[in-house]
Amino acid sequence: MLFFFLSAVGRILTQNNTRDRELMRRIASKDPEALGLLYDHYNKLLFGLLRSILKKTEEAEDILQEVFTSIWEKAHQFDTERGTPYTWIVSLTRNKGIDRLRSKVYKEQKKQDAVIDDDEAFFPLFSEENNPLENTILSDRAKRVYEALEKLSEKQRTVIQVAYFDGLSQSEISEEMNIPLGTVKTRMRDGMIKLRELLSQEMA
Amino acid sequence: MDEQQNNSLNFEELCAGFVLNSLSEQEADTFLQLLEGATSQQQELFEDMQAIASEMALLYPELKPTDKIREQLIEMAWASVNSPKGANILYLNRFRYAVAASVVFMLVSLGLLFYTQNITSDLTRQGELLSEQGKFMEQQSKMLEARESTILALRDEVERKEELLTILEARDVDLILMDGLDVNPNGYGKVVWDKDNGKALLQVANLPSVPTDKDYQLWFIIDNQPISAGVFAVEDPRNDNFFRIEEMQRGEATGAFAITLEPKGGVPQPTGDMYLLGSMIN
Repeated sequence: MLFFFLSAVGRILTQNNTRDRELMRRIASKDPEALGLLYDHYNKLLFGLLRSILKKTEEAEDILQEVFTSIWEKAHQFDTERGTPYTWIVSLTRNKGIDRLRSKVYKEQKKQDAVIDDDEAFFPLFSEENNPLENTILSDRAKRVYEALEKLSEKQRTVIQVAYFDGLSQSEISEEMNIPLGTVKTRMRDGMIKLRELLSQEMA
Repeated sequence: MDEQQNNSLNFEELCAGFVLNSLSEQEADTFLQLLEGATSQQQELFEDMQAIASEMALLYPELKPTDKIREQLIEMAWASVNSPKGANILYLNRFRYAVAASVVFMLVSLGLLFYTQNITSDLTRQGELLSEQGKFMEQQSKMLEARESTILALRDEVERKEELLTILEARDVDLILMDGLDVNPNGYGKVVWDKDNGKALLQVANLPSVPTDKDYQLWFIIDNQPISAGVFAVEDPRNDNFFRIEEMQRGEATGAFAITLEPKGGVPQPTGDMYLLGSMIN
């Protein structure tokens, strides 16, 4: 499986997966220290993700709190056979971020806010606070995804980027880009299938 | 394109949309149902696409949140561990605080509204009660005034009757009866005269009411010369009317009394119609 290949990039990633599974096990057993450690590993990545989706720092912090509260409450639901903790946590974070983005309350707040502190960027991340070796690997992983996206057709890449980075639904993309909904669905499917092929080839 | 191929394409489309969180709620539900009956290849496709979507998160710039979040999370986790088994520790973030604060604010507002309405209702009731009490007091005051007025009138009446009784009680009085004349044949009059004290009592009956610009005038006639003994007005012609006459200190044993209708306040000599006339009897 691809998630296995992706998470198997280098020894540190394997170690990270093992470490995360152990932390998830401890969190499921209600170990507050394990929750703190998991938070230390992922808070900046997840906060960056939420901040980019929601465009507002306070909202992103709210959802980050909700994400780790959910991890604390639902760690026992994590299925080790169906993916890595990283994938589970990122999916959970994106789900909550998108839910808030599409909530009526948030949309109303957004209408009322004249200025949005938006300094969204689209580039691989580098963190000075992580150890250099881990940074290099994270950078490699990000670079690999970035290069795969670049190999898609512009039409495929655009719908995936708008859906992922702006949080737009397929209907909203169809409306915003003035293209049929069916075309949006096809481009998204084709793009994701191609990304799978590209990343699998690289890992092979 | 056969049905199997169609189903596969449909699954792939829904799967791509699902991992990118871009399906409608209905489509997402449909996909989750499909996933439950998915083949192993479809399961693998879903896991791969989910992994790709997660890897795309690495393209976001890393940002550091405020340290307070970690402190609150750990505090929440320890509170959960230390709480009685099964207790649910609800973590309040800013959004939930806002919702909770709104609910509290709404409840407080409703409470205040209810309290204010109660106070307003009480004040209205008390106001109405005071108003009713005021009306009652006003009625009582009017009744009291009426009673005082009646008492005063009765007192005057008693005083007048006592004065009249004083005249009647005198041992030596003259009684002069007067009869009605042509203008008012049914008229009747009586003078009780206490010569010793110079006071007299006049009683008249069946005399018509006087107009506002007129008075009845009593005359004492001696040797065909009328001497005014005072003026009076009849206000209640249905009953006998009594009047006290002062300063009737005369010693004549003969004479007559007459009553005429004269201009208001009386005149020196009679000018109007004579209503009653009666002579002293020796």
